[in-house]
Amino acid sequence: MKITSLALIAGLAFASTEARADRLVIKGSDTLGAKLVPQLAEQFKAQNPGTTFDIAAEGSTTGIAAITDGTAQIGMSSRRAKPAEVGAASSKGVNMKPTIVAYDGLGVIVNAKNPITNLTKKQVEQIFTGDVTDWSAVGGSGGKISIYTRNTSSGTYSDWKELAMKKRDYAGGSQKMAGHEQIAAEVGKNANGIGYVGLAYMNAPGIKVVAIEGAKPTQQAVRNKSWPYARPTFYYTNGEPSGVAKQFLDFTLSSTGQKIVDRVGFVGVNEVK
Amino acid sequence: MFVKKLIFAVAALTLAFGGITAQAQDNGALLDLLVRKKIITDQEAEEIRGELTKEFSGTPAGKLKLSTPVTELELYGDARVRYEIRNGNSGPPSTLVTNPNDAQQRNRARYRLRLGLRGTLLDDWFFGLRLETSTSPRSTNVTFGDDSGPFGKTSDGAFVGQAYLGYKGIRDVTLTVGRMPNPFITSSMVWDGDINPEGLAEQYKHTFNLSYGGGTSAASAESYSKDAKGGAVAAVTSEPYKMSIDVFANFGQFVYDDVNPENPIGPRSNGVPNTDAYMLGWQVGAKFNFTKDMYLRIAPTLYNYTGNGDSFNKLYSGDPDVLDEEGDRIALNQTGVDSLFVFNMPTEFGFKIGELPARVFGDFAVNLDAEDRARAAGHPESDDQRYAYQIGVGVGQLKAKHDWQIQAFWQHAEQYALDPNLVDSDIFDSRVNMEGIAIQAGYAVSDAVTFNLTYAYGEQIDNGLGTGGVGDIGVNPLREYQLFQADLNWKF
Repeated sequence: MKITSLALIAGLAFASTEARADRLVIKGSDTLGAKLVPQLAEQFKAQNPGTTFDIAAEGSTTGIAAITDGTAQIGMSSRRAKPAEVGAASSKGVNMKPTIVAYDGLGVIVNAKNPITNLTKKQVEQIFTGDVTDWSAVGGSGGKISIYTRNTSSGTYSDWKELAMKKRDYAGGSQKMAGHEQIAAEVGKNANGIGYVGLAYMNAPGIKVVAIEGAKPTQQAVRNKSWPYARPTFYYTNGEPSGVAKQFLDFTLSSTGQKIVDRVGFVGVNEVK
Repeated sequence: MFVKKLIFAVAALTLAFGGITAQAQDNGALLDLLVRKKIITDQEAEEIRGELTKEFSGTPAGKLKLSTPVTELELYGDARVRYEIRNGNSGPPSTLVTNPNDAQQRNRARYRLRLGLRGTLLDDWFFGLRLETSTSPRSTNVTFGDDSGPFGKTSDGAFVGQAYLGYKGIRDVTLTVGRMPNPFITSSMVWDGDINPEGLAEQYKHTFNLSYGGGTSAASAESYSKDAKGGAVAAVTSEPYKMSIDVFANFGQFVYDDVNPENPIGPRSNGVPNTDAYMLGWQVGAKFNFTKDMYLRIAPTLYNYTGNGDSFNKLYSGDPDVLDEEGDRIALNQTGVDSLFVFNMPTEFGFKIGELPARVFGDFAVNLDAEDRARAAGHPESDDQRYAYQIGVGVGQLKAKHDWQIQAFWQHAEQYALDPNLVDSDIFDSRVNMEGIAIQAGYAVSDAVTFNLTYAYGEQIDNGLGTGGVGDIGVNPLREYQLFQADLNWKF
């Protein structure tokens, strides 16, 4: 009886360990977590039955914090970790390691009915900082500009400030959205709306993508680094990943994974020149 | 691998010798260049960046932690040393001065310090804190050697000058609560620049961009041709005239005087409910930017007072103390805010003379309740003493090393025109019923250090009235007043 019980306990313990090992917790960026990583996870599960995923896409800040706190194996981020975040991780013995998994290009979107088709980089800065508040000031037909941005825990929120706004503050009254899809949806409903979304979210109904100084955001423009609002996206791990986290990272960087990256609308890491 | 290590070493040295502000990300340009040159890959650049960031987080600057809601923080301040001479001559109608043509002079060396912290918080909030020397609401000066012992510290305390929270989440609107910088556009005639009012402020500002004319003219094709050959003539294209108008509105509800208690034990002493006194201000104006260098700003404003308070709820006199029948001295009120409903309009026209910024500025105020204020002061015959105005010119600015600035203005402030608790404490010693001239000149010794000189001369306007207000010269009325100040300022 004793031996049977011990065997049962040992068996349960083993089974439990196995189950924990195959469960991958991924937190962070909505840019990556809304479309790309779930599709990668589906394909990975098809190749590795028994693996379960717990994906929470609530912004890059949450992904980096999750690595520091040890509540996720992979932290998705569309921005680099800040010195304060790296310092906080370091003080807890966590080595914040970034791995580029895809490139993204951010584009400016307006309502499909808006006659604006092209903006300069300066005009984009003026609009998002509130220097310009009416469409007539940038060649539009008039009307108060409604700005839609990501929320403050988003990496895209801070990336856009760096890439397009010379690190200045957003205009007061800009409306903060939980994800790219929400930005696209709101701009699609508001004739005076403007926002920014990643390449994967530019085909939403009711919106159109504005050219910047004559150029449109495309995967090709990101590939050849000619798009001004392009950026790498990351998986953050605590040092070198191991176990299923390493397997998933390797899968993301594999040719199969990178094909999914392209299909969703991002640009693969080996394609960028 | 060797190249990567070499790059890391170079970047680390750059960081080490680049000063404490050289953050790891500042090496981004170097790393980007190396990536472009294909010396390292993007991934290798990221790893180096990550290592440098980790290194940086171990430096003193990297160890400075800010709470998460803080998105931007600025430490700032300024200090000043000053030598000042004030001189006031006594005169009628005082019956108390034994030497009616005598003068009181006050010479003093002073300093001030202001140390502030301001920043932005998540979700469009902002805040400010500032510590200042001196307890006076109208001055941050501390006089050297006027406290206990040689080199005592009794009067050298730091006090909270500003502590406010604001919100900018509504387009064009700024809301502020607390002890704040004055939200009104104003002048030293009405508000001393050191006053930080306490309460609520709501501000609105919107810029309208206007464009007139311009475009291509076809008329040129029909214009006179000297050789009468006609033919193709280039069309004339003219730039449209552009200007902008900043429309603004500032509103303030300030707690002027807290009453304590609102509901006392037993009957109220004056038989009326005790209520706090509030100062209310409404300002709506515009700044017309005719060109980049030329503007006109007008800011019509109304100030009113409500409630009672318990310190300023007294009838203002402004007259000198009197002696009663027994020969005892009776002090008359100098600070009451009864019957003050002031219309004020600061105006400024700015332009450039060559590269030098110049301005003509003025301020006008009238107390619409001056009749009642004069009657309550015992001078119904002087109810025309309700106006105040200031007009001046200024040239130059003090923004960078070797900049200079000079300005001069004439000011006239009648006895019942303004709140004597708010007027500038220097130019006419915190008094009304004074008129005269002030001249100020400044020179920027460096970007951070400026030297300023101020001279002011004032005279009593109506010799039948006192010069209301509480100043540093213990004479009322001030028949004549002179001020000289030499300041050395530094900001950081």
